[in-house]
Amino acid sequence: MAAVTTAPARAEPNLLIRIASRPTALAGLIVVTVIILLSVLAPLIAPYAPSQLAVRDRLQGPGMAHLMGTDELGRDVFTRVLYSGRTSLTVGFAVVVFASAIGVTLGLVAGFFRRFDAPVSRLIDAMMAFPDILLAIALVAALGPSAANVVIALGIVYAPRLARVVRASTLVIRELPYVEAARALGVPTPVILVRHVLRNVVSPLLVQATFIFANAILAEAGLSFLGVGISPDIPTWGTMISVGRQFLDQAPWIMWFPGGAIILTVLSLQLLGDGLRDFLDPRLAKDV
Amino acid sequence: MLRSALNRLIGMAIVMFLVVTIVFVIVRVTPGDPAAVMLGPDATAEDIASLRERLGLNAPIPVQFLTYFGGILRGDFGQSIFLNIPVTHALWLRAEPTFFLTVFALAIAAAVALPVGVLSAYWRGSAFDQAATMLAMFAASIPSFWLGLIFMQIFAVQLGWFDTSGYGGPGASFAERMHHLVLPAVTLGLISSALITRFTRAAMLDVLNDDYVRTARSKGMSEWRVVVRHAFKNALIPILTVIGLTAALLISGAIVTETVFGLPGVGSLIVSAVLRRDYPVIQGALLVVAGLYVLVNFVIDMLYLLVDPRVRY
Amino acid sequence: MKHYALAFATSIVALMSANGSALAQTAGGVIDVATIGEPPTLDPMASTADLVGIITQHIYETLYTFGADWTVTPLLAADMPTISEDGLTYTIPLRTGVTFHDGSEMTSADVVASLDRWMRIASRGKQTAEVIDGIAATDEATVTITLKSPYAPLLSLLSLNNAAAIIIPEENADQDPLESYVGTGPYRLEERVPDQYIQLVRFEDYASRDGEPNGYGGARLQHLDEIRFVPVPDPNTRIEGAVAGQFAYVDQLPVEAYDRIAGGATEPVVLAPFGWPVFVMNTQEGLNSDLRIRKAIQAALAPEDMMLAAFGSEDFFSIDGAWYPDSYAWHTEVATEPYKPMGDTETAMALLAEAGYDGSPLRILTSRQYEYHYKMAQVAQAYLEAAGFKVQMDVVEWATLTQNRADPALWDIYITHSPFLPEPSLMGIMSDSSPGWWATDAKHAAVEAFNAESDPAKRVELFADVQKVIYEEVPAYKVGNFNALAAQAPNLEGVAPAPWPYFWNAYLGDE
Repeated sequence: MAAVTTAPARAEPNLLIRIASRPTALAGLIVVTVIILLSVLAPLIAPYAPSQLAVRDRLQGPGMAHLMGTDELGRDVFTRVLYSGRTSLTVGFAVVVFASAIGVTLGLVAGFFRRFDAPVSRLIDAMMAFPDILLAIALVAALGPSAANVVIALGIVYAPRLARVVRASTLVIRELPYVEAARALGVPTPVILVRHVLRNVVSPLLVQATFIFANAILAEAGLSFLGVGISPDIPTWGTMISVGRQFLDQAPWIMWFPGGAIILTVLSLQLLGDGLRDFLDPRLAKDV
Repeated sequence: MLRSALNRLIGMAIVMFLVVTIVFVIVRVTPGDPAAVMLGPDATAEDIASLRERLGLNAPIPVQFLTYFGGILRGDFGQSIFLNIPVTHALWLRAEPTFFLTVFALAIAAAVALPVGVLSAYWRGSAFDQAATMLAMFAASIPSFWLGLIFMQIFAVQLGWFDTSGYGGPGASFAERMHHLVLPAVTLGLISSALITRFTRAAMLDVLNDDYVRTARSKGMSEWRVVVRHAFKNALIPILTVIGLTAALLISGAIVTETVFGLPGVGSLIVSAVLRRDYPVIQGALLVVAGLYVLVNFVIDMLYLLVDPRVRY
Repeated sequence: MKHYALAFATSIVALMSANGSALAQTAGGVIDVATIGEPPTLDPMASTADLVGIITQHIYETLYTFGADWTVTPLLAADMPTISEDGLTYTIPLRTGVTFHDGSEMTSADVVASLDRWMRIASRGKQTAEVIDGIAATDEATVTITLKSPYAPLLSLLSLNNAAAIIIPEENADQDPLESYVGTGPYRLEERVPDQYIQLVRFEDYASRDGEPNGYGGARLQHLDEIRFVPVPDPNTRIEGAVAGQFAYVDQLPVEAYDRIAGGATEPVVLAPFGWPVFVMNTQEGLNSDLRIRKAIQAALAPEDMMLAAFGSEDFFSIDGAWYPDSYAWHTEVATEPYKPMGDTETAMALLAEAGYDGSPLRILTSRQYEYHYKMAQVAQAYLEAAGFKVQMDVVEWATLTQNRADPALWDIYITHSPFLPEPSLMGIMSDSSPGWWATDAKHAAVEAFNAESDPAKRVELFADVQKVIYEEVPAYKVGNFNALAAQAPNLEGVAPAPWPYFWNAYLGDE
């Protein structure tokens, strides 16, 4: 309970220091930061252009000219892993933002207004009944395959999880003495929601968001691999693996490196999320 | 207790109804006139209009919803556009590989996760615990299709222990078909074991700190008996919950795994249905899978009620 | 564990030889054939898909078919037709004593009803219907086709196995879609489990022609008891199935898998050359309705890189601007100068400037059903962009592609391929109504002269004019010639390499 009532404003300055005290979380933070930097700075770092073809140099193994080898059209795999990171990370981040927007709204409404609790909770239950990839596939089929629609689909898929977390925290907060006092004093409900409730759900939300970021990267790769995600001519780690699969025995490096990038990113995000949970939300730390 | 059971039943009915509604909405927003899709590119406007009428697509939305809902209550999930057979039949034809894949994957996951989780909790903070936690996290970070491909490369292509893909073709014996499931099941099982390991560990930690475990210890009971007889037994309910829910969620993993290994299961049916724009099949699959999940949840709740009458809803 | 697979394989062989080898080359055996997917229909009139043709040619038969040297040879017809002096009347004698799978006997009434259905439903039938004046049954065993104008491709059209002029019982001819899969072929449909297999069994009352097998024609021998077509849509799965020896025959493998197949349990079968990949231009609407734009594309494309990316090694393709390779009578180098193996970016830029190209995107419609289509598209995109085009790739499923290509508003180029067709008139662009909608006076002049001529030698000369007008007006861009790769079990014999493989005549021998 302590973490929930702690104002995030006080927690945050210490957060970095506290993360630094835990080696796995620190490692996660550092690696995530490096991966984000590499992606953002891809145009400066990448030795080639991402779609620069050299058909005659196709399927070359990792070496001096091509750090991670070349793909079936002679494109530089290292360059493409960097540029793919941009798409994959952007999609993952956009999913988090979109899912948070829906999830926080639903969770606040369900947790704060008793009247809406039952219907919204049942809706959340129903949404959670669909396995994530399956629901995402159906939604992308309904919306049409594009990066934006993959974000919308995955956002809808993950929103209920966030809604649950927010609802649980809100239920506790609304009963706290100072919130009740504020209500008694006639402070308008929106002000209470933003000032007192929202501020206090930030911590558990941040923890969940980290995990959803990780899951979204995995899910996007899965959708692209199945051919129902982002268009194959936009490089993402998932589409790279999907293409590399055809050359599994001739040029396995096409598949190795984007796969490694996914594992590294997701693992670091999970380590970071684990650390954050321990500091921000000890109540959750006991559960999974 | 009966009252609680009844409450849960009503709750489940409501969730089921919402599930059906969500599926209905997803299909309605899907672009493209199903009638035009069914008739193909050469259809005339009149053909399409008459088929729309026959399919009841011209009726007001609430009427359409009632017809659709009524069909589902009667077990009628519609007709596959591409395969031209009832959706339930299409799903049934694909059920076997998915069923066994799920069962094997779950068995593998449980066989790995339960001992590791229990020992992790018991030796909390030890090197073993830390290593197990890291490994579980690592397993949860691997895309299942990628792991499947790597396994395929090593065990099927290089070592030749297994066929890389397929389900043995028509006329394959049961043993032959199951042999094809080994690699997919190991892939799926290892990845699912991550979640179960973490959960087992957490549940065991809870129990190990409980009073009666301490009491048992103080009475001089052997450690083995304390851990297995008392602690594990009490942690079993939450662990079973996770295993039950993982079973339903494995369908998600099965979609990807079946595609990688070319298994003719429900998962690959769903993927091809999407590629063929076979909406009734997508719809039916969504309903069946979500329905199973809700059902598993309900059964678990009932089990809780039976085991621990203090639980009230 | 390797032993397990081996033991299994041997047991199959043992089982098969129990049926087969005692009387080698006689009846017995069941084969599994891996195909590229589930056919959308088992009505070969309703579809031009090669897959539909490959499967259904075992069930249904046509009046004529192609012999080993790709000349037309009779199948359900008793003989070649008698053609009147003016080339307008074809009198076709029918074989008697041919039974359908439902036990009824084929008569001229069935033939007339079937051909009527063909002209109503099949794309090639609709195309032919424009020159057909009437089809009538002269007597029980004779059918007469009268034409409005001489039309040399008629017999080839009646022979082809997709959008095929199959003969079915009269009472089924009104079915659309076809529901009764009743034909006269050597194998009949026993069971179809969608996405799992299509099981054909020997038709015991089949009336084979006498003599020797001759390509698709001649005698059709029924050694095998059963043929099962198993859809394996994923190419990697087909490769692995071939390496493991899971199938007697595996169709359409990526050529780059040749070495792996050769090292596996089935033997690679190369069909060289198999056909051409082609970029079809939308001449009716959008950017490509401007001939100068089409010329610019023709100059910009670099077939050598496109083919290399698509097929991996020069062992599997050749760079050839002629529409037919030199193994065909139709081969000619006339007018192929604009075909530049490495492209000609400068000419393309000049042409583009001349056309006043406004930078609106050139939409390439393609799918990944055939991975090499997509790879060629990617290389084409690079070269087109180098020439100044803005390119938009629309990558869709094959089913969507076949739907979208029918709408001129949706695309500028779409990518497809075709086996070398025995008769040039069967090429898509030759028809005004096929997607691309190429219909100019110059085309009509060249094509009509070609179609009206009946003398084979003169037709070869006239085809040069057709190729010339294709190069001048660029309704399509032929990228090159490519080989096809299939795989075949060592004990499967009697299968002739063919663009549409067939399994009558095949038998299981000793290894």
